[in-house]
Amino acid sequence: MADQGGSQHGIARTSRVRTEEQKRRDLERIAKYRELEDQVRAHIARGEYAPEVFQLTSKLLRLNPEYYTIWNVRRRCLISGSFSRPLAGSSCLKASSSTSPSATTTTSSTSCSSSSSAATRPAPGSPTAGTSGTTADPAAISTTPDAPGKEDSAATAAAAETQDLSIIKSELTFTIPLLLESPKCYWIWSYRLWILQQAIARLRPAVARRIWEEELGLASKMLGKDRRNFHAWGYRRHVVQQLESATLEGSSMVEAEFAYTDKMINTDLSNFSAWHSRSKLIPRLLDERGADDAARRAFLDKELAQIRNALNVGPEDQSLWYYHQFLILNLVAPEQHPAMTLNFTREDRVAYLTREIDEIKELLEDYDDVKLIYEGLFEYTLYLCQLEERQPDEIERADLVAWLGKLKQLDPMRNGRWADLEKEYGLKE
Amino acid sequence: MESLGDTLWDVVISGTGLQQSLLALALSRSGKKILHIDPNEFYGGSEAAFSLQDAKSWVTHASNGSCGLVKSASIALPEDATGLSPSRAYSLALAPQLIHARSAILSQLVSSRAYRQVEFLAVGSFFIFSPSRDSAEASGLTRIPSTREEVFSTTAISAKEKRLLMKFLKFVLDHESSPHLETWQEHADSPLVDFLQKEFKMGGELQTYIITLTLSLDGQINTRDGLAVIRRHLSSMGVYGPGFAAIYPKWGGLSEIAQVSCRAGAVGGAVYMLGTGIETMEIAEDEVELHLTSGDNIKTRMLVRADDSPSGQTGVGRLVAVVGSPLTSLFEATVEGAPRPAVALIAFPAGSLSTAAGEESAYPVYLSVHSSETGECPVGQSVLYLTTLATGNVTGILERALDAFIHATSDSQAPQVLYRLQYEQLPGADTARAEGPIFTFPAPSPSLSFDDSVLEPVQEAWKKVMGEAAAEAEYMVFEDREGAMDDDVYE
Repeated sequence: MADQGGSQHGIARTSRVRTEEQKRRDLERIAKYRELEDQVRAHIARGEYAPEVFQLTSKLLRLNPEYYTIWNVRRRCLISGSFSRPLAGSSCLKASSSTSPSATTTTSSTSCSSSSSAATRPAPGSPTAGTSGTTADPAAISTTPDAPGKEDSAATAAAAETQDLSIIKSELTFTIPLLLESPKCYWIWSYRLWILQQAIARLRPAVARRIWEEELGLASKMLGKDRRNFHAWGYRRHVVQQLESATLEGSSMVEAEFAYTDKMINTDLSNFSAWHSRSKLIPRLLDERGADDAARRAFLDKELAQIRNALNVGPEDQSLWYYHQFLILNLVAPEQHPAMTLNFTREDRVAYLTREIDEIKELLEDYDDVKLIYEGLFEYTLYLCQLEERQPDEIERADLVAWLGKLKQLDPMRNGRWADLEKEYGLKE
Repeated sequence: MESLGDTLWDVVISGTGLQQSLLALALSRSGKKILHIDPNEFYGGSEAAFSLQDAKSWVTHASNGSCGLVKSASIALPEDATGLSPSRAYSLALAPQLIHARSAILSQLVSSRAYRQVEFLAVGSFFIFSPSRDSAEASGLTRIPSTREEVFSTTAISAKEKRLLMKFLKFVLDHESSPHLETWQEHADSPLVDFLQKEFKMGGELQTYIITLTLSLDGQINTRDGLAVIRRHLSSMGVYGPGFAAIYPKWGGLSEIAQVSCRAGAVGGAVYMLGTGIETMEIAEDEVELHLTSGDNIKTRMLVRADDSPSGQTGVGRLVAVVGSPLTSLFEATVEGAPRPAVALIAFPAGSLSTAAGEESAYPVYLSVHSSETGECPVGQSVLYLTTLATGNVTGILERALDAFIHATSDSQAPQVLYRLQYEQLPGADTARAEGPIFTFPAPSPSLSFDDSVLEPVQEAWKKVMGEAAAEAEYMVFEDREGAMDDDVYE
């Protein structure tokens, strides 16, 4: 699992050697790129965020999705033109009425009002079109309480939503090929999130919800392609959070998410993020199930059996040991991890820990050179002593010394650490 | 019009079996004068795929003693054969071999561009049949785990056995380098089962799992070969997608590859004549004169043909059955994102079957189940290919295996067997022969998975035909012809 030189998660990075021909073509490409960039910069220097600039950003971003300034330009193009006129109290208004008079808020509020004259595509059905018209006064927008004519407002609102929905969909589609090529580029994900936020701000909850549900599908697909893309995992959590929120008329998705970690683990045991996600979901899962002590104990039993089964086939895998340790911490440090063993007696805890140690010792029968096993045994034996508020007995001391010896042999690079442990616990032979 | 006899042919290829067809593919850009004949009215030779009518003709043909390496062929239909579809709805394969992802034939198909015309399907899990120990317990199928995640998920073996299996799987992947190499080298020629027991302390059940992965027909594959085969299986896992190690050509297995290769040969200018065999021949030092059954007399620099004289060793008994059920439970993708398999393989370990007369199966029986996705039968039906060594009451044992399988997979009503084709495939020469201007391919391999050693004689024959030009040319490497469809789809 450690990064092998030149590869990430086992997917190799290729290095290429260029011929003269390729060098020439590269220089051409660089020239074209710089030209595009200059064009965009020229436009924004003049404060122009017209659809023409929007098209240029599409071209430029396809060539370089990491150019985050251009993503911002794109956002401004949408706010200033393509998206429907903001309704009273909408996000644009919020920007102009924010307390800090930063450069971005002034430009966005100016673009909100001034572009209605400069834009080649006037937003149809905008509620303010009839009143503020071409006034460059942001205050005029904020003081217009009603849209022109109540009968029109429903129609205009519906048209606005349709327009916004179509923009949102096309923007999401635009980012997909970019994501497929650069699945870990922050700026693409951040732009998608911004678009998704626009969905919440501009669309009815039911409509916005569908967009977010599709987003969950995308997160799953990305994780299907690279199961350990931690961007995708974090993103998934964010999407799930939104889907659960009241804004999108949601309810808890803990059971589904827990089942999802099951699926990912069964596909590939060596998935740190899946195990981590699982550990984070457990407290809420048990609470929602209304689990009593017996149910929680049964749950812990099942988790322990599963992780032991995993360690049995993959003892060299660190992500498995991390999860096992999480479960052990539930036993020995319940103040931090109360979900499963809050009402265990000390005898209970000692019994469980002793059993775990015995089970792990069994692994040594067939795996005698896996250092993580010895590390686990060492650590857990010390936990046991702590639990019982005593020092290791003779047999335990002998074990600890033997395991430390193995660790020194298997992992000589960390001899300093092993020496420290030796000193700390008085284990010098 | 020029008659065939006017040309001095560079090579006459007799028979359109897989090896001969691959030779035609290899020569398809060489500009050589090639005449490719086959006494059958169909392509594929001993690797052909049949409609029901073709199968009937073939059985008649074999019964006349004209197929040197096939004997005891017969077809049986049940009394109420109502479920059987029209003849052309079927494409029953004589060589339903699965092809491991790391097999060399695939890289040859790719480099020669012939792969574009073949559709491949996924081969799913391998199962072991475990007979019921008493009448109350149903006999069942156990999936054989061959990846870490499969070993993790299975509930069929103990924790200790899982550890042994994992150690062995890791060992196999590295078995050709030290220190593992020294561990097995001294046992190279003795049976793999013995090595498993001695070195890995494996009991009977785990041994059966591993021997099944080798698809060994006598269960006695030696350590060297066994480790190589398992290594191929393990390193083939996941190559073309998650969850599967082998693929299968749609529309009849190897027959499809033979047909595609002949098509390439024809496009390259070779002349094809079906229903034409060699009546007599006269061999000179550097050419052969052939009198064909069509009446033509031709001269050729080289004759390439296949062996068809039985060697006298034990053959392989086959039963091809069509059942009236889609057997959906066998064709489920087990891994997230994996394609639905179209082929499932089931092994009946030696001793797991007995006939009514009490004869126990002395050797493993292998059953390859094909869904209608293979194009070999209509939707709603499946084709079952059973194979075992032809000893003792081979017909009885195969029938018993079929029966046991049908009852193991059905919950309520056992599906009806709509059709049975039985025959015995005899072994012939197992090496190629080059005698002056005549090159003879070895007899087809009875192996259940494609054996790369089949490809070597083809390259040998190609070198002989090409003569000096072989040194300049790259074997089986071609560019797409103009106008060839580029059907790479970006998902």
